[in-house]
Amino acid sequence: MKLTRRAAMVALGATSLGLTAAKAADDEQQLYAAAKKEGRLTWYSGVLNQPIVESIGKAFTAKYPGIQFNGTKTTSQVAFQRVMQDINGGAVQSDIFTTTDASHMTYLISKDKLVKYTPAEDSAIVPALRDFNGGGFYHVTWVGLVAIMYNKKKVSDTDSPKDWPDLTDPKWNNKIAFGSPNFSGLVGVWTVGMTEKYGWRFFEKLSKLNPLIGRSIDDAVALLNSGERQVAICDAASAYRSIKAGNPLGVNYAKSFSLVDFAPSAIIKGSHSPNAAKLFMNFQATKEFSDILVKNAGQPLRADVPPPGGAKPLSELTLFQPELTHIEKELPVLRGKWRDTFGA
Amino acid sequence: MSLTQTSPLRDIPQRRTSFAVRLRRFQPATLFWLAAVAALVFLVVAPLARLLVSSFQSTDTGAFTLQNYAIAWGHTRELVAVGNSLRYAIEVTLLSAVFAVPVAWSLSRTNMPGKGVIRALILGAFITPPYLGAIGWILLAGPNAGWLNRIWMAASGSDSGIFNVYTFNGMVWVTALYAFPYIFVFTSAALDLVSTEMEEAANILGAGGLRTILRITLPLVLPAILGGGIVVFLDTVALFGTPAIIGLPARIPTMTLVLWQFFEFPVRAQAAAAYAVPLIIVTLALFSVQRLLLGRKGYVALTGKGGGRRPTQLGVYRWVALAYAVFIVGMAVILPYAALAQAAFSKAWGQGFSWTNLTLAHFGEILFDPESQRTILNSFTFSAAAACVAVGLSLAIAYIVSRRMTRAGGVLTLLCMAPLVIPGIVLGVAFYATYAPPPLALYGTGTILILGYTTRFLPIAYVNCMAGIRSLNPEMEEAVRILGGGRMRALARVVVPLLKTNLVGSWLLVFIPATRELSTALFLVAAHTRVISLMMLDLSENGSFETLAALGFLLLGATIVIVLIGYKLVGRDFMLRRS
Repeated sequence: MKLTRRAAMVALGATSLGLTAAKAADDEQQLYAAAKKEGRLTWYSGVLNQPIVESIGKAFTAKYPGIQFNGTKTTSQVAFQRVMQDINGGAVQSDIFTTTDASHMTYLISKDKLVKYTPAEDSAIVPALRDFNGGGFYHVTWVGLVAIMYNKKKVSDTDSPKDWPDLTDPKWNNKIAFGSPNFSGLVGVWTVGMTEKYGWRFFEKLSKLNPLIGRSIDDAVALLNSGERQVAICDAASAYRSIKAGNPLGVNYAKSFSLVDFAPSAIIKGSHSPNAAKLFMNFQATKEFSDILVKNAGQPLRADVPPPGGAKPLSELTLFQPELTHIEKELPVLRGKWRDTFGA
Repeated sequence: MSLTQTSPLRDIPQRRTSFAVRLRRFQPATLFWLAAVAALVFLVVAPLARLLVSSFQSTDTGAFTLQNYAIAWGHTRELVAVGNSLRYAIEVTLLSAVFAVPVAWSLSRTNMPGKGVIRALILGAFITPPYLGAIGWILLAGPNAGWLNRIWMAASGSDSGIFNVYTFNGMVWVTALYAFPYIFVFTSAALDLVSTEMEEAANILGAGGLRTILRITLPLVLPAILGGGIVVFLDTVALFGTPAIIGLPARIPTMTLVLWQFFEFPVRAQAAAAYAVPLIIVTLALFSVQRLLLGRKGYVALTGKGGGRRPTQLGVYRWVALAYAVFIVGMAVILPYAALAQAAFSKAWGQGFSWTNLTLAHFGEILFDPESQRTILNSFTFSAAAACVAVGLSLAIAYIVSRRMTRAGGVLTLLCMAPLVIPGIVLGVAFYATYAPPPLALYGTGTILILGYTTRFLPIAYVNCMAGIRSLNPEMEEAVRILGGGRMRALARVVVPLLKTNLVGSWLLVFIPATRELSTALFLVAAHTRVISLMMLDLSENGSFETLAALGFLLLGATIVIVLIGYKLVGRDFMLRRS
């Protein structure tokens, strides 16, 4: 029997693949053993909401029993404020930090506060997310998509705002709501994006409509459901989750572009449980994790998990993502400007 | 045995004693008061000194600079915030007096019916955390979806509501509803002491009912009203929760919100200190004004003669008085809790009441989630520990001061009372700056929260312990000492047992507010030392009112149980007396 070159390659490939898998499983066992000794994992999350954070915790502890899970969802600016408070206070609390404002990560890298780590199944993540400038320090674990939302009981589909400039129409006076870039990272990135495309005048016009300004971008979901306000900007996933729960919301992807935001996670240096942190970074790259995201109307991170039904796939949308360097430079300035324009 | 009538023992002039003699007479009690002083330095002096010093330090180099003051006061919005805060506090104080004084008068001086229920409901307003009340009012008076507005729109056919909680007036209204019990407590305590004889004398001299109230009763209790008013003012200026929940969406910046913003990235702790120092000076000035006012205007109403206190017969007007009282407690307690209950038991509160929308899930989420359990446990253990430390320390210092064990009694009293004028958020900042860095490195531990709470509520404990000790005749301790016992023995075997009730009362008066303290905790909690108030603030961020309301009910339930135990141990009146 003649051993072809091709067969040899295949055989070699198969063995090495088997070896890698075995090695990965071995690594994971070691990591798990070390993490179990640490006994707990603390996550400051600027994404999702508290119940989803808890369901992720449940899935994580089911997979890795013996590691107590503490996850707190706040807006990204508040989460970052607490990370900094912990670091300056000399007692790092969170093992994992996730933020919708990636410039937080740039800052933490510059201060040498992040641990470099690449999740075991990183190769299964969608290429667009993997290429996001993390330098191995951080990895995208959530994708935000800012769209327009309206209460269908109060606003007809034809009347609903179709594009960003439509939001500044005087007919939305006393009827519009959004979050604040001083709390929400997603609203922050949106503020940068809107200023880039339409200039600060866009916000000056909005400020004349007596908007109700919450902290989180998701605040508006509750405000629209209750009928307190009628149109808002939203994270599309939160809106679809609420629609699934039976609330009368409609979502319009803005005609010109939908604003997309990549939210990275990273391991904070000097935390209590560096191994549990790595295990959790691995977990965020698993199919299980993407399944949980999709179940909650969010975008999957992996190519082998189909996007949620009901929502438009990203491939059919015109997307716009402000440059990270631009966010870093502009957002602090715009947050101050926001206070001057909106008064708080 | 009368405990109240003391014949002050004059200190016997002492001869100068040699060191050896002093050493022989050395009592463990000396160590004890030195320890008490050290504790006060640790809790009060060091954090405040740190705050003052850091306000003049450069962020990068630590060198002396005035730059922080320029940063802190460089924008108009920081000045606007000061104006807002002052206006806010003044309006809340006035409105609280309008709420409190008539109800206090009706309860304490008239034959208004239903007094027990009204009193219980005022207690309910007293133990409601202001930020929880604010959430209740968002559900009630959200301009379009609030219950009151929906009812109005349904009844009038109008397409817009009439109440808007997201306004300056809305914020004042909501704050006053939970601040008025302070004025109520002060005023009713004073009214209880005014004897009817003086009012009768006015009547005999030809004054009518209203004239008597305005010329006799009201002036007699005016110092008490002012005293309560100052407490409300100080409390409101320093309030963080309600402005965060209502002021932010309504776009009304206040001083406490600005202070919080200095801790956003990039953190400017030194600028925050520079913003806080004038804030303390303002409150200090106010406090001095109060002392001045109360010092001048005082009437001796409490005499040895037990003047009769007959209730004024209001006739049909007693129903008017009752209606007013019901209106106040309805606004403060009944309506907001009804709205909160609807949210706590709803799948989605915005969909209104229906059988299919009912659920107990939110209570389950909290009670069966290990993290929430720990948060609740944290709140109660930290508060209990703080109450123990505060009462122990206050007792010791009150004893030292009242028995003149040191000539520095005035200074000790001043230090114990100083936290009264320090806004909670500033106290939190000062503690963080002082005790988070090494060598103590307390950040992330429960200890830093316990110490923060202790300092924050030290004045309450101190005033109560002082009142208790003043009521004890020193004779009894002297008897112990004549029989060969030391001061410590006298304290442990005589003072503490006699003051048991007073001490339990003081403990509860620290414990209850500590369980809901938000502003001090804001910068001292870490992930593993989270407390209920912070959990509520986080939940309020994205409108999760259902879980938040359920948590509020659990806190309220626990507080009611504690208050009932307090009543059982101490007697009915420990919450609603002047303290």
